[in-house]
Amino acid sequence: MTTHVDPRERRAFHHDTNENNQQLTAEEREKLLKPYLPEPPSDPASPAGSPERNARKAPKSVRKQKSIRSFLANQLHALVFLITHTIFSVWFRFRRAYHAVVHRIHALYHYHHRTPEYIRKDVAKLDRKPEHVSVILDLNESDDDQGNSGLEGLVHDVCEITAWTVSAGIPMLSVYEQSGILKNYMPQLHSAIMLTLGSYFGEDRKPILTLRAPLIQAFSPPATPPNGNSRPSSPDTPEPLRITVLLLSHTDGRDTMVDLTKTLADMAQKKTIDPEDITTDLINSELRDAVSGEPELLILFSPHVVLKGYPPWQVRLTEIYHVPDNVGVNYQVFLRALYNYAKVEMRFGR
Amino acid sequence: MGDSIYHSRMRQWFASSPPVTWGIRQLRELLIGALRQGPIPQHVAFVMDGNRRFARNNHLETVEGHNLGFEALARILEVCYKSGVKVVTVYAFSIENFKRSKYEVDALMEMAKTKLTQLSQHGALLDRYGASIRILGQREMVRPDVLERVDAAIKLTEKNTRCILNVCFPYTSREEITGAVQKTVSNFSKPIPPPLKRPFSETHITRNLRAQTNHSVPEDAQSQNSSSRSASTSSSKSSQENGQDYSSADAYPESSAPTLADPADTNEKIREVYPDSESITAETLTANMLTAEAPPLDLLVRTSGVQRLSDFMLWQCHQNTSIVFLDCLWPEFDLRQFLPVLVEWQWQRKKELENSGGRLRDKED
Repeated sequence: MTTHVDPRERRAFHHDTNENNQQLTAEEREKLLKPYLPEPPSDPASPAGSPERNARKAPKSVRKQKSIRSFLANQLHALVFLITHTIFSVWFRFRRAYHAVVHRIHALYHYHHRTPEYIRKDVAKLDRKPEHVSVILDLNESDDDQGNSGLEGLVHDVCEITAWTVSAGIPMLSVYEQSGILKNYMPQLHSAIMLTLGSYFGEDRKPILTLRAPLIQAFSPPATPPNGNSRPSSPDTPEPLRITVLLLSHTDGRDTMVDLTKTLADMAQKKTIDPEDITTDLINSELRDAVSGEPELLILFSPHVVLKGYPPWQVRLTEIYHVPDNVGVNYQVFLRALYNYAKVEMRFGR
Repeated sequence: MGDSIYHSRMRQWFASSPPVTWGIRQLRELLIGALRQGPIPQHVAFVMDGNRRFARNNHLETVEGHNLGFEALARILEVCYKSGVKVVTVYAFSIENFKRSKYEVDALMEMAKTKLTQLSQHGALLDRYGASIRILGQREMVRPDVLERVDAAIKLTEKNTRCILNVCFPYTSREEITGAVQKTVSNFSKPIPPPLKRPFSETHITRNLRAQTNHSVPEDAQSQNSSSRSASTSSSKSSQENGQDYSSADAYPESSAPTLADPADTNEKIREVYPDSESITAETLTANMLTAEAPPLDLLVRTSGVQRLSDFMLWQCHQNTSIVFLDCLWPEFDLRQFLPVLVEWQWQRKKELENSGGRLRDKED
């Protein structure tokens, strides 16, 4: 497709010289470009000589011909539009079916069976694991698309993902859900996650969970630590795993940055800060403390990449992983994201 | 081996023969025209990634890879503008890129300079596209000789309004956001200029009112007026009194108004009035971004299979922008790769409209 430029033109474009290695002049270049140019703007003010002359000679017929031609072109374009869209919608459906098959095959090879050992085995060959994983979840109104709907489905997803994350040995998980409904149910969510962790790890070896949200105090119910301590911790049992789950919503994105700007503006009005002193580092440290650090890996369970208001400052260098045409939360996407992350070579500055 | 070279030669000869090039060009025009029939993203951003890898894969010099990347950009711009995209934003050079080898940075700068010089020689042609060029980023990091060319190109095209090409030159999104915050803060830390003093005072108006309502016994006003002006006769005709009071209003600012207004004035000088910081919204920040004039970003395309934003358009693309990661390298990027992206975008847009329409209908039921 790139070869609709002939060698002479290519040489001119690359090196700005003609066949005899001479520098091209402006006129020569314009001549070369002529076939690629669009029609001159059709506004009447433009000093287009020939159409005007034609118009004076035979105004009506020319205009009629032109309008017929543009009408026909329009019809043709509409037809081609229809054809391309038909072809592509067939192709999209095929692609979706293909991806679903691939997905099933993956599911055959890797399934966690609610056992941390399986997950640990799955991730054992990865040399590089993220320290902080983030996921974007949706609150589904209806369950047309998948099994999980409403708050219950959302809580179930969070529980499962937390269990996978902690089994994979990742200490930090942030869960983004646009509406922020989860933040209203933190005690319930905590006990639900603990229940799931219990079913994965067994009651005795449950990891220690801290549930956090920006502006809300970390939630770790008082019942948990005494329970854990009351049992005589024998020296042969390994240190329990720890995981922090951070709940994010759309207010932690732009709104938080607006709040920061307001505070800075107040300070500037009181002359306690000079606008010149506002640096990237200052904003970065403020946002890191108020919201979260940068996650290394962001996993999307949606069919295509839309960030839906995810905190913008934090996604700067985050690896964004999604499986095309995937619908719903499942272990395969999670695992493939970790595999993909391990393969990628980190290159700063692109 | 020789056979394959012969075949590639044949293919090249065939592809560059006039009827074939004409045919391909017509096909492109047809496809672009067809695209125009559907919704078209108003603002598209590209991360032009993969020039160096392309050069490495094809055993070319790095600089030649960048040159080919520039060509790909020209092709894509043609597609965008012909199909009706209003704003194209390209990530040309990151601040992080200054960390690359000096040789490469210099070559890139040299390339920018040459291309911009060439561009400036074709002002009339640019007007045909109606495109204006903007440079987004930290200008102070650019070499002065390049900056001169940049300014010349901007100046040449600034009157064009049909479409805009934003070139992010030494750019990172964090710097952009920081700049926007800084600008907003400094706007809000400038005191509001005190309102111009009006020639009326409230006390005077109330007194005037009182005088009008009980003009039968206008003792206070009467005595004051007569004392200040040695009125001729105290004929209590309302018209005359009005006239008198009016004339005393002229005298007000000099005599009594300053004494009344003084305390307020000094108060104002002590605490300046600032705009309310609570009125800052996300839109305020958006308006202070470098892309303030552009419509919201609809589509972001990154080539070469890297699934990161790399500090590009963070503020702009984290809401409803479709982000597309493609595996092809930027110099290979053409209508062939871009067409499916655009069609899928149109398809998604259509689906969204249908969904929202369906939901609306459900609610109505």
